[in-house]
Amino acid sequence: MTDQPQDTETTGKKHRLHSLKKIEIIVRGEKEKFVQDLLEECGATGYTIHRDIAGRGSHGFHEGRLLFNDRAGLVMFFTVGDEEMIDCVMDGLTPLFEKSSGVMFVSETQVVRLEKFLEEDE
Amino acid sequence: MSIEISVLRGRIENAAEAVGPLWPLRTFNSANPLSGFESLPFHEAVQRAGHLFRGRGYPAPDVFRRAWERGDIDPEILQRQLRDAGHDLDPAAALDALPRHDSSPAEAEDERLNRIMSKWLAAFFDHGQAAWPMPNRSDGFFASWRILAPFDRGIPGIRQTSDLPSTKLDAFIETLDGVPEEEWETIFTHHLAALPGWVGLIRWQGRGTAGEWEKAKPITLGGYLAVRLTVARLLGEPLLPKDAPANGEANPDTQTLPAVVLAAWEETYRHRLIDDLTEPPSRPSVDGTDTRPDAQLVFCIDVRSEILRRHLEGLGPYETHGYAGFFGIPMEHESYAPGAGVGERVKACPPIVDPRHRIAERVAPGCEHEAEAYNDWAGIEGTRRTLLKTLKKDVAAAFGFVEGSGGFYGIAMALRTLLPHRVFDGLKSLREHLPGPSSFTEVTVDRPDTPDPDDALPLGLSPEVKIVYAEAAFRLMGWTDEFAPIVVFTGHGSQTPNNPFKSSLDCGACAGNPGGPNARVLAAICNEPAVRDALRSRGIHIPEDTVFLAGQHNTTTDEVTLFVDDEDPPVDPGALERLRDDLAAARNGATAERVSSMDDRMWADATRETERRAADWSETRPEWGLAGNAAFIVGPRRLTRNLDLRGRSFLHSYDWRVDDSGTALETILTGPLVVGEWINMQYYFSTVDNAVYGSGSKVTHNVSGKVGVVQGNGGDLMTGLPLQSLYMDDEVPFHDPLRLFAVLHAPVERVEMILNRQDTLKRLFDHGWVALAIMDPEENDRVMRYQPGGSWAPMSVDEQPAAAVLPDA
Repeated sequence: MTDQPQDTETTGKKHRLHSLKKIEIIVRGEKEKFVQDLLEECGATGYTIHRDIAGRGSHGFHEGRLLFNDRAGLVMFFTVGDEEMIDCVMDGLTPLFEKSSGVMFVSETQVVRLEKFLEEDE
Repeated sequence: MSIEISVLRGRIENAAEAVGPLWPLRTFNSANPLSGFESLPFHEAVQRAGHLFRGRGYPAPDVFRRAWERGDIDPEILQRQLRDAGHDLDPAAALDALPRHDSSPAEAEDERLNRIMSKWLAAFFDHGQAAWPMPNRSDGFFASWRILAPFDRGIPGIRQTSDLPSTKLDAFIETLDGVPEEEWETIFTHHLAALPGWVGLIRWQGRGTAGEWEKAKPITLGGYLAVRLTVARLLGEPLLPKDAPANGEANPDTQTLPAVVLAAWEETYRHRLIDDLTEPPSRPSVDGTDTRPDAQLVFCIDVRSEILRRHLEGLGPYETHGYAGFFGIPMEHESYAPGAGVGERVKACPPIVDPRHRIAERVAPGCEHEAEAYNDWAGIEGTRRTLLKTLKKDVAAAFGFVEGSGGFYGIAMALRTLLPHRVFDGLKSLREHLPGPSSFTEVTVDRPDTPDPDDALPLGLSPEVKIVYAEAAFRLMGWTDEFAPIVVFTGHGSQTPNNPFKSSLDCGACAGNPGGPNARVLAAICNEPAVRDALRSRGIHIPEDTVFLAGQHNTTTDEVTLFVDDEDPPVDPGALERLRDDLAAARNGATAERVSSMDDRMWADATRETERRAADWSETRPEWGLAGNAAFIVGPRRLTRNLDLRGRSFLHSYDWRVDDSGTALETILTGPLVVGEWINMQYYFSTVDNAVYGSGSKVTHNVSGKVGVVQGNGGDLMTGLPLQSLYMDDEVPFHDPLRLFAVLHAPVERVEMILNRQDTLKRLFDHGWVALAIMDPEENDRVMRYQPGGSWAPMSVDEQPAAAVLPDA
């Protein structure tokens, strides 16, 4: 299911695009370790973290970087993988968000180098 | 039955919210024992945690009564609070009607399980105390327990390791068989909250900052639960005992009698403090004149600094400021190690800040001779310690060693017990003959050319970062002009032998370590010409003749040590001499005040008495620590100068006029104030229920594995402060358990702006964990009180005699 290559013509070069899923997660800084462990356990081959992000949510506005507090910040993760990996991450986050503030977004995405996003044994 | 491991992980994470992290003794940090409940309103949190931990959430009736008899609860305020809360009682009747709390709850049903788990966790967490440590710990708690469990006679039904589940996941599958997912969290919460000490330590380790610990002894909440649930199954105990309080529904009522009387006590203190702050100032001319002070000293915001600051300011042209005691340097401190060794590395910044730099002590140029003398002594001392340890632990040598050395140890013990003063003098004289590393080392503030080792943070600070930290210090304190010829950054630490809780008496902003090294770093940075040039271009003008020094305030004896090379002082020797004399005089005033609160005997020489407490190995109360803390004042010193705040206020310097953007105030409120709240809540809960949230009497303490303290010969780690740090005797607390009152000297719009962009901070005020008032300088210092939800009401008695403290029901 993950591999439905499409041919795209860009700048005269031929790329093969592969469909995968992308998940974006925003949690409080104190949950950063939990999400990292979860992603690794679910087999994410890598992820990106933005720390000290700002924004408005149901609890009000949250300003970003603080000089003397590394715990109160919001962090955003994003990573890409196959459906099984994304499902595993969602399974772990769904109970979490019953109690802690945070959001996750899952969307379709396409990548060029599929091997970067799937575990070797797949 | 199959279990999705990620679902399990999420449920465990949720359940663990109830238990706050517990730091190991070496870096004991103050933390709110109810930190997992801080997203709830205070009264609801107290009730829920009360069910879960079986702890009391409000002071006992006797404690209220004593406060009432001392006049610390204003009858009018109490009457008003009772009326507003709908209680038809007069104050005396209300005090009589306070419900008694059963101080000795029945033993939990699964106490046997608790004992077994505590035994295994103590073995697993041992940090160098056991001569024969638990094997295979690097494989993790579940795996290493599984190998040894067949030898535990207390656990029935295991003959060999293969009788046990082979993985953690298998353990959960076996024990949770048939239990619907919706019930997991309640079960997990019960089993985690059953041992909040050990589980808190696992949580501390799970934050990812434990470094070597984590590698040597990996343990997760999942591993703990896997073992515990397996043992529960083998013991035939139900997953959720009938008396499990995790099921208890809270019915939060903010109007209960204890809540109302507590509020009245707090409001009495707060109104009196505001009255003091707003009274027409009988402030002396020092503020009004333009004379340049002889010296300015920056102390930690710690409540203990206030006493010494007040005494010093009364002695001459001195100014003092308050700043977080890590001096804004997020660092790890590497102490001096003789020879080629690597010194001990400890975190030296607040629990909510991650260290970013490593600062090491190195021999200063020209001090090689002193270093050699010290190294020789340290070498002999090290050999002596190793030899003694071998003799004591070696099976063959131990008997002969005791025979041969008993007399010597007996004499040493008698001396330490009967003549602690002499011990203090002896240590002092040793220090004079053989100065410690701070006298011949310098701190590595520069980045070296050599690469950093892989296992360590980068050494030193880049030129840009130095400017950031120096500017942050002066901006936060609102100190941009008028610098004295001598400016001292004064960290603090305690002096106490044979005390596992020493860290709790050291600087809370330095992760329970002395703050002197941080002070040395900031002083070194501020003396650099390049930093001063950069500061000048940013509007902070430090004159050429100003020299920054570092020092350390010994909070047990109130002695201030200045880290200065006396043979070549960087400042005028006469001025230095005067400062030292005045610090000594201030010390005498401060110790007289402090000793009288520790002991009702009259001491002819209070300073000498503090020295005894600093050296006496049997002293259970070397000092009061931060007991008494109740207010957090953010503003210029002129607001509080000449007021006797009785060592109860954190004092952070701030000048609203030089902080248009509000960034400085925002940093103070989201950093130091939050740490102040943690400390205040630890003192509060350790006082209201010392057995559950504190750590009980020191007399029956035993250190377990060098990581924590247990009562008696085992059980859960105690999580809070000992009885003797809070109570005069078994019954009468010295610490008044009041929630923190923050007073900010800042315009209301600025504070509102900050609250609107810091939702976590706003919640502390909205939910009643901290109370907030401002003195609005744009409105002639009018005092306005923050109302939960976001509105403001005048606090002045003239404007609104019945300032609503609780919202109308």
